[in-house]
Amino acid sequence: MANLSTDIGTLALRGPVLAASGTFGYGTEVPLLDRRALAGMVSKGIFLRPRAGTPPPRIVETPSGMLNAIGLQGPGVEALIRDYAPLWAGWDFPVLVNINGESVDEYGELAARLDGVPGVGGLEVNISCPNVDQGGLYFGNDPAAAARVTAAVRRRTRLPVWVKLTPMVTDIGVVARAVEAEGADAISAVNTFVGMSIDLNTGRPRLANRTGGLSGPAVRPMAVHLAHQAARAVRIPVVGVGGITGPEDALEFLLAGCQAVQVGTSTFVDGRAIERVHDGIGAYLERRGVATLKELPRYLPRD
Amino acid sequence: MFQTDALLLERRSVARETWVAVFDAPEIASAAAPGQFVDIGLRGPLLRRPFSVYRASAGRVEILFKVVGTGTGQLLEMKIGDRASLLGPLGHGFEFDPAWKRVALVSGGLGAAPMPLAAETLRRAGVAVLWAHGARTAADLCSEWTGDEVAWATEDGSAGFAGRVLDAVQDGLDAVLACGPNPMLAAVARRWPEAQVAVETYMGCGTGVCLGCAVPKLAGGYDRACKEGPVYRAADIDWPALPSHLPYAVGA
Repeated sequence: MANLSTDIGTLALRGPVLAASGTFGYGTEVPLLDRRALAGMVSKGIFLRPRAGTPPPRIVETPSGMLNAIGLQGPGVEALIRDYAPLWAGWDFPVLVNINGESVDEYGELAARLDGVPGVGGLEVNISCPNVDQGGLYFGNDPAAAARVTAAVRRRTRLPVWVKLTPMVTDIGVVARAVEAEGADAISAVNTFVGMSIDLNTGRPRLANRTGGLSGPAVRPMAVHLAHQAARAVRIPVVGVGGITGPEDALEFLLAGCQAVQVGTSTFVDGRAIERVHDGIGAYLERRGVATLKELPRYLPRD
Repeated sequence: MFQTDALLLERRSVARETWVAVFDAPEIASAAAPGQFVDIGLRGPLLRRPFSVYRASAGRVEILFKVVGTGTGQLLEMKIGDRASLLGPLGHGFEFDPAWKRVALVSGGLGAAPMPLAAETLRRAGVAVLWAHGARTAADLCSEWTGDEVAWATEDGSAGFAGRVLDAVQDGLDAVLACGPNPMLAAVARRWPEAQVAVETYMGCGTGVCLGCAVPKLAGGYDRACKEGPVYRAADIDWPALPSHLPYAVGA
């Protein structure tokens, strides 16, 4: 069996496949998966305080994808620390907490609060949620704001800091370089694309939130391109995410310059998706005679 | 919870453009309780589609469906012997009280879906079951029924009671279990606040992860139709905030 371990900054992962934020809950809700395939998990996005989320309908299926507007419903960071972190401390893979704020200070506060909490293996800074009124995407599409958030988090924690970027930008390389310069250890690329779907009967948007984030196979070629553009722009590792359903999809991201991937929407359809992706990557490397994932030649021309 | 590539064993028509599909899924069949559902994965659409368990016995899981979009269209096109991925049983179903003597099952249209399993389970426990089932017109009524007594209702009066199915039900019952369009369930909640109702929502994962199937609670906040639901105490739901009309079509 090929060696699939990979290093994302200081985090040594046993494999290249992680569970994406918002698609794996707090790690207790997907019982069918064989955990050996899971290199790590990113928690549902959390704020300092509890949030109710957006009114329904919150999801709608679109061709080869789905729009969601959950609005980061969650119990707040104190409940996460109390109810979930102690479980995570006993798990054999790292759990990163996806952190969200309505202001730069809130991101910093969350980082400080989670620093040193047993069970928390790292932070994924979400500056790309399309479904919150304040924060989210509005930090992610402005390189200066993205840099300020990253700096605020970096100052307040010793944990690995990944920054999850939005695709809704003109040049993702600019934002990637901005967060790299402020000390991000890695980049997750990319979050959902903003989309909208109209109900022909009512003439109104099908989501109560009007717009939502598009995920699933529909976004994959765009996500591969953006992850590749980010990887070309920075020296820190890029974790590819967007529409991965099978090992071939994950391999596209890896070959395009990513060091790891996250599987998201697919888990909704198949609780064992991560297992299939992980095992398929191993089989591909063996077929190609590549002994370790780190030796996989990447297509990553430098600008 | 089990996930299995289940063989389609049989499909029969039970009302106009309404079918029962029977799958070979022994683990799910033995575990399924009334009001629970299965999430069916098909080749066309991305997401699974949730269906109440209509019957579950002898290794067979039955569901009731009507073609409303891409997923249900494929269910109708499947040939006997084809397979679909069944995930289940899922959700929190009806809760039965051993003190019950006489219970009404109230269903509208496709809301008949969870009733046969509920009726059979109740009758085995010695409870007398009145099944009141309503539809727009006689042709839309589910032709299969289980119960000690059945009351039909049609909006156009073409069969049974003319009017709303709720009005075909007398008082003096120990409990009411209901399923149907959300506006009908809202009316159930007004008449029987203690009724147990199985709601309909869009669903993403079916397993409690995606938070897509939010059900607004009167006490504030949301919970998940797939996990805490789909069966709720009628009075606990914030009915005006629950979508009453779900468009289904998914383009190619």
